[in-house]
Amino acid sequence: MTNRVGIVEVAMTPGVESKDYFLDQVFRVTKEVLDKAGLKRDDLGTVISASSDVFHGGVSCASSYYWDAGGAFLKNGSRQDGESLFAFIYAVMRILTGHFDTALVLGVCKGSENPDDDMLTHFFTDPFYQRQVGLNETVAAALQKREYMDSYGISDEQCAGVVVKNLENALGNPYAHVKKKVTVDDVLASQVVMDPLKAMECAPKSEGMIAMLLAKEDLAKKLTDKPVWFEGYGSSIDKFYLGDRDLLEGQLPNAAKRAYDAAGIKDPKKEIDVAEICEPYAFQELLWYEDLGFCDRGEGGKLLDSGATARNGEIPVNPSGGVLASNPYVTRGLYRLAEGFLQIRGQAGERQLDSKVNKALAHSTHGFAGQCHAVAIIGS
Amino acid sequence: MGRPVAIIGSAQTNHGKRFDVTYPELVKEAVDAVFEKTGISPDDIEGVVSGTMPSMMEGVALTHFYFAEVLRSVGKPILKTETCGSTGISLAFTGYYWVASGMADLILVVGSEKMNEGDSQATMTTVLEPFYQRSFIAGAPGVFSMQSQEWSVKFGIPEEKVRAAATRLSVDHHNDAFDNPHAHIKKRLTEEEVNTARIITYPVRLWDVCPNSDGACAMIFASEAMAKKLGLKAAWVKGIGYSGEEYWFGDSEKAIWQCAIDASRQAYDMAGIKNPRKELDVAEVYNPFTFQELLYYECFGFCDFGEACDLTLKGTFSREGELPCDPSGGTLCSNPIGATGLNRAAEAALQVTGQAGDHQIPGAKLSLAHAMGGVDQFNGVMILGSEK
Repeated sequence: MTNRVGIVEVAMTPGVESKDYFLDQVFRVTKEVLDKAGLKRDDLGTVISASSDVFHGGVSCASSYYWDAGGAFLKNGSRQDGESLFAFIYAVMRILTGHFDTALVLGVCKGSENPDDDMLTHFFTDPFYQRQVGLNETVAAALQKREYMDSYGISDEQCAGVVVKNLENALGNPYAHVKKKVTVDDVLASQVVMDPLKAMECAPKSEGMIAMLLAKEDLAKKLTDKPVWFEGYGSSIDKFYLGDRDLLEGQLPNAAKRAYDAAGIKDPKKEIDVAEICEPYAFQELLWYEDLGFCDRGEGGKLLDSGATARNGEIPVNPSGGVLASNPYVTRGLYRLAEGFLQIRGQAGERQLDSKVNKALAHSTHGFAGQCHAVAIIGS
Repeated sequence: MGRPVAIIGSAQTNHGKRFDVTYPELVKEAVDAVFEKTGISPDDIEGVVSGTMPSMMEGVALTHFYFAEVLRSVGKPILKTETCGSTGISLAFTGYYWVASGMADLILVVGSEKMNEGDSQATMTTVLEPFYQRSFIAGAPGVFSMQSQEWSVKFGIPEEKVRAAATRLSVDHHNDAFDNPHAHIKKRLTEEEVNTARIITYPVRLWDVCPNSDGACAMIFASEAMAKKLGLKAAWVKGIGYSGEEYWFGDSEKAIWQCAIDASRQAYDMAGIKNPRKELDVAEVYNPFTFQELLYYECFGFCDFGEACDLTLKGTFSREGELPCDPSGGTLCSNPIGATGLNRAAEAALQVTGQAGDHQIPGAKLSLAHAMGGVDQFNGVMILGSEK
C-alpha cells in the first residue's frame, strides 16, 4: 500500500465498574489521546465512533449523546453500530481517500449502566422463532461448545486452561476488569450457567471507553516516533438462524484470509508475533486458533496444551487477558487492537512480551456463536 | 480526493404501511429489485453497508445479523452505519468512502425501517437522556416546533407568512407524491385543509408532519472502472459534507444552524459549487416538517436568511421553479427513517440520470441529497452529477 495509515496514540479506561459520568469518561479518553499526540481538537479531521443502542444505558441513537464529548463538535463524522473494529476500518478508509489527514476512532461502552449482556444479546433474536425460546449469546455459545467437544474431543479441562492462561496474563494489565489467579479446578468447580458452559468460562460485563488516533503516513511520522501501521483487514458475516449454520465451520477463516491477503501474510503462525483475539467464551479461543490458521481443525486444545499461545510462547494469544478478563461488549475489538499497538511499541508494561513484536493481529466477534468476525493486522 | 465514485443503481420499496411483509422481507424487496434492475449478480458485490434507526424502533438489535441473508451479505465484509435520522445519508457516505478508498469496486448499501412495528415517537424520546431533556421534549415534533419558532422570531417573519409558505409546501409535496410510485402519503389538499388541520405541537399542524412509513432502499456504489465495465447509467458523487453539533438542545442556535450550513458548504466546496440556487438543478431536502424545509433553504444558501417564505410563495422551489425541491414529495410524504436519507440520494441519482419518471426535472444534471438526525444535531449533504 503506497498510502499508509498509522496508529499514532491510544487512550482507554480500565474495565472495572466506574462511578464516573459517562460523558466525562468519553471526554477524558478523547482529550488524553489528543494530548499525547500534541494535537488540538481543531486539528482533528474526522471522528468515527462505535457504540450500540442496546449497550448504551437506555439512550438510543447513541452517537447523538456523546458527539460533542467525543471531540466531534462541528466535525464530519460517523458511527458504526455494535462492533468497534468496523469503526476502525471505516476511519482507515476515510484517511485512504485523502479527505482527512487524521481520524479519531472512539469506542464507547459503559457496561455498568447496562443490564446483563445476555438480556441485551437476546434482542439480536427475531421476534417470531428465536425470541420465544430465550436464545441469547450464551445459549448459542453453549450449543457451539457442545458441538465442538463432541466433534473434536475438546475437553472441559482444555477450555478451563484458556481461562487460567488469560486471567494470569490479566494480572499485569491495568486495564483488565477481572484480576484473579485461578486454577483449572476453580473453573471446573464454578457454577454451570448454560450446560456445558461454566460461569468462569464466560466473560464478565465491563466498562470500556477507548480513543485511538489515526493519521496518514507522513503526518503519523511527525506526530510520533513510533507509528504502528495498518496492514490488513477482513470481515465476514454468517447466516442468521443457528439451525442454518455449521457452528464449527463459520466465517472467521474467510475474514482472516482477507486480512492476511491484504497484509501479505502466508504463514500466520510464523509471521504474527502476538494475537489478541475475542473469546467471550473460553472454548472459542481454541476454535478461533483453528480458524485463524494457527493450527489445524480440532487441534485448538493441543495448541493450548503445548504452551504455544502462552506468554512468550511461539504465538502468544491474549497477553492482555483477553475478553475473559475484560468485556466491554462493543469496544472489545478496539481493546484488542490497542493491546497489539502497545505490544508493538514496547509499551505494554508488565505484560510486554520478551521478544520483539513486529506484527500483531486483533480479532473481534459479535453475534451468536461468532455470526460476524473482523480481523485487523498492524505492524511496525 | 479519492477515486471517483458512481451510484449505478438504486431501488426503493413502495413505502407505507407494509403489513403484507415481515421486516426482512421488506429489505429483501429492495435488495432483489436493485439486482434485477442493474443485472448485477450478488456474487460480484464486495461488501455490504447496512443501517436502520435504533433497535428500539422495531425491537431487534444490530439488525445486520437478522438481515444477513436478505442483504445477500453472507460470507462478505459488512459495515453497520447508524447516525439516527441521518442514517440514510451516512450509509451513502460509507458506500462512497469504501469505494473511494480503493478497498472495493462494488458495494451494496441498504437502509430500512419498519416503523409501523413499533412506536416511533416513543423511540425518538429515548434519544434524549433520562434526566433533563427526556421529560420535556417528547418525540420529534417538540424539537421541530421549537426550532420553527426560534427561526421565525429571529428573523421577524410574521406568523401568517410562515403559515402560508409551510402550507404551500405541504399542498405541493402531497400533490407531487402522486408522481412518485414509491411515496406513502398521496393527497390532494386544499390550503384551507392544511391551515385548519389539528395542531400537533404549535405551530406544527397535521399536514406539516411526515408519516410513519415502512420502507427500504438499496443502492450500488461503483468505482469508475467498474461503472464503465458494467455500462450502467452513473450518477457521480461530486461532493459530500457532514457535520454534527451539541447534544443539549438548549445550548445551540437552531435558526442560523451551523451544522447544516457547514455540511452544505463542505459538499459545495468539493463539488466546486459557488451559487447553489443557480447551479443545482434539483434538491432532495430532508423535510420531515414543512417548517424545517424552509429553514434549510436558508442554511443551504439557496437564499438569504429570512427570505425562504417569500421565495417559496413566489414558486422559486416548486416543480417548475428555479430550484425544484423535493419533486418526489420528499420525507414529508414517506419517512421510513433508516431508509429516508438513502431515498433522498436515490432520488437525486435518478434525477441526474434521467430516470425519475413522472417527477423527472427535465435536463437535471446536478442534484443535492440531504438528511438530518440526532437531537436536531446532524446534517449530511451529498451532491450528485451526471458528469464525473
